[in-house]
Amino acid sequence: MLKRVVLLSLFLFIPTIAAAESSAPHEIRIGTLYAGSGAFASSSIPQYQGLRFWVRRVNARGGVFVKAYGRRIPVKLIAYNDQSQTGLAGSLYTQLITRDRVRILVADFGSVLTSVAIPLAEERQILLIDPTGTSAKFFRGNNRFLILTGLPSSGIWPTVLADFLIAHKIGRVAIIYSANDFTESQDQTLVSRIEAAGIHPVYNHAVANSTSSYTLLLHQAVARRAQALIELGYNNNDIALLQDLSAGGMHFAMVFTINPGLRVPLFLKAVGAQALGGTFTYVTPPSLAYNKVNYGLGLAAFKQAFEPWNRKHGNVPLGLSVIAGYNSGLIIQKALETAKRYDSVALRTAIRAVSGRLFTLDGLFKVDSRGNQIGEPIPLGQFFMSQEKLVLKVVYPAKVATAKPLYPAPRWGSGRG
Amino acid sequence: MNLLEYALLAGLFYGLYFALVGVGLNLIFGVMRIINLAHGDFLMLGAYGAFYLYHLLGWNPLWAIPIELVVFLLIGLPLYYLLVPRLQKSGDPEMLSFILFFGLSQVIEAAAVFVFSNNQRSIPASVFGGAPINIAGQVFPVSWIVSAAVGLAGIGLIYAYLYHSRPGRATRAIMAERSEAAATGISVNRISALAFGIGIAAAALAGIFSPFMIGAIEPSMGIGITVISFAIIVIGSLGNPIGTLLGGLIYGEALMLMQTYLASWSELLPYVLLILILLVRPTGLLERAVRSA
Repeated sequence: MLKRVVLLSLFLFIPTIAAAESSAPHEIRIGTLYAGSGAFASSSIPQYQGLRFWVRRVNARGGVFVKAYGRRIPVKLIAYNDQSQTGLAGSLYTQLITRDRVRILVADFGSVLTSVAIPLAEERQILLIDPTGTSAKFFRGNNRFLILTGLPSSGIWPTVLADFLIAHKIGRVAIIYSANDFTESQDQTLVSRIEAAGIHPVYNHAVANSTSSYTLLLHQAVARRAQALIELGYNNNDIALLQDLSAGGMHFAMVFTINPGLRVPLFLKAVGAQALGGTFTYVTPPSLAYNKVNYGLGLAAFKQAFEPWNRKHGNVPLGLSVIAGYNSGLIIQKALETAKRYDSVALRTAIRAVSGRLFTLDGLFKVDSRGNQIGEPIPLGQFFMSQEKLVLKVVYPAKVATAKPLYPAPRWGSGRG
Repeated sequence: MNLLEYALLAGLFYGLYFALVGVGLNLIFGVMRIINLAHGDFLMLGAYGAFYLYHLLGWNPLWAIPIELVVFLLIGLPLYYLLVPRLQKSGDPEMLSFILFFGLSQVIEAAAVFVFSNNQRSIPASVFGGAPINIAGQVFPVSWIVSAAVGLAGIGLIYAYLYHSRPGRATRAIMAERSEAAATGISVNRISALAFGIGIAAAALAGIFSPFMIGAIEPSMGIGITVISFAIIVIGSLGNPIGTLLGGLIYGEALMLMQTYLASWSELLPYVLLILILLVRPTGLLERAVRSA
């Protein structure tokens, strides 16, 4: 009798065990888009490169460990070129979900190209990893499958900048911002914080994203006797502004732009050291090294491993976008390592569970209930000229500063300081 | 400081530069009745030429002028023989040119991404000297003055070529009536090839100064430049190179006034001007002049 029971049990359970084994996918499919051309290409391709580097590293070890199946499974990254076009991006995200059947989506660079992925991810219940789409609007609604990984939402970015203006009693502030979610939300945060401290901007104006000449706008700021000129835009805007400041001979006690600190080599080549000297900017990795890394490579090890591979595979400049792409891979890896099931809800729950405990080369990873990254405020940096060499240093807040701010900023060289 | 005065003077400099941006497109249309949608891409290539001469050899962008004029003229001549005679044999060369040159534009952009990468590039504005210039009590960047001067010189040279040289007179004869010009013994293909080369060289010449007037250089900048050029030549009259100067000045002034008083809307300017001119005077402001030229 006992023999019969054992045999019957085996007969019943063997197919179940086999079925469980066969239900494990032979690869983890991750879908993403990159902008091979167009306005966002110079930031999108490095972000994609960072993600590719993560995939190469995990696959070199036999894949990523997936707790739901108790074993390593190779990662397959499926990527399409959206050419910086939101219309094309929308159809390609759909293609990734419906035809390629990816379980995890990684959004393209920036808020503009991420915005079209959010409703699709919500509708199809797909985990959407958002490396750099930081628009504050994304995190006001109920987007259950969205996780911002690389940076805090843009509404948080200018908090340190606002504190600096207030602390240094800079009362005449001119702001020029590009008309898009990313910079509009920064403008709103900045204005509301400084106005709460009694500083009312003397000039606060939106301009088109494609604005390539700032001289007329700068003259308006000069006419209003602005001490600080804050320009919130993308790479092309910042390059044009710094060029126009340098050529026009105008000088402000403080000039702030977003991107030079995020992509130092690109700006150094585009506008030169003289035009950058004295400029205030955000500082993020790789210009900023966090030393408490407890997951993934630290910054020095990352540079050592990434740079030889990068030289053979596209050779993109190492900037924030590369770090954001790699960091997104790490968050996916941690989610797969800890989620009890391999589905969007379980993966997102796993990410929320590790929030606040994960320290990567991009700093503390901490998200709120809406998936908004709140881990690290972005410190303020300034470019210094030292023996004809340009150096970016953290100047505020004081607890992380590596140098004292030069305010008013001096004139360096023949152009603006 | 009077912002209106500044905007008007700045508009004059920008206008002279933008006339140079548009003149090559207009010359090619006037002679061949084809729309070179790759015009902005040739400008982009000219900009990269100046960028690499500066960054690799340390050459001032002014040295790029003679080099690029020769190089792009030499590129334009075989390109003409490769593309245009076949287009002219078709029933509707204007429409087919849209498709063909759009394709060429895409090919150039893709090749530029491959060769130059997608990173934005520029040339430091201090290359022309640091101190800005005072004109009529207003201070302007040296690079604006240089760009405007080159723009004016470029338009002047094309004017001189068209009105005071034998191939220029032949070019105008072809512009007036292609078949009649051929009947009088003018080598239509040779003259047209020369005009095509000059048109492309003019675009490259404008490209040299684009980092100072248009902003960062990137492979995808071409299509936007083509739209602006198209607006400029439609304002001045399609096929009339002299009208391009007027079109450029109107565009430059409108752009600077928009940036001063309606900065958020300045991106729409080329489209608004195109719609307005097509509604009010579809033949362009100087249409009559081209007939009597």
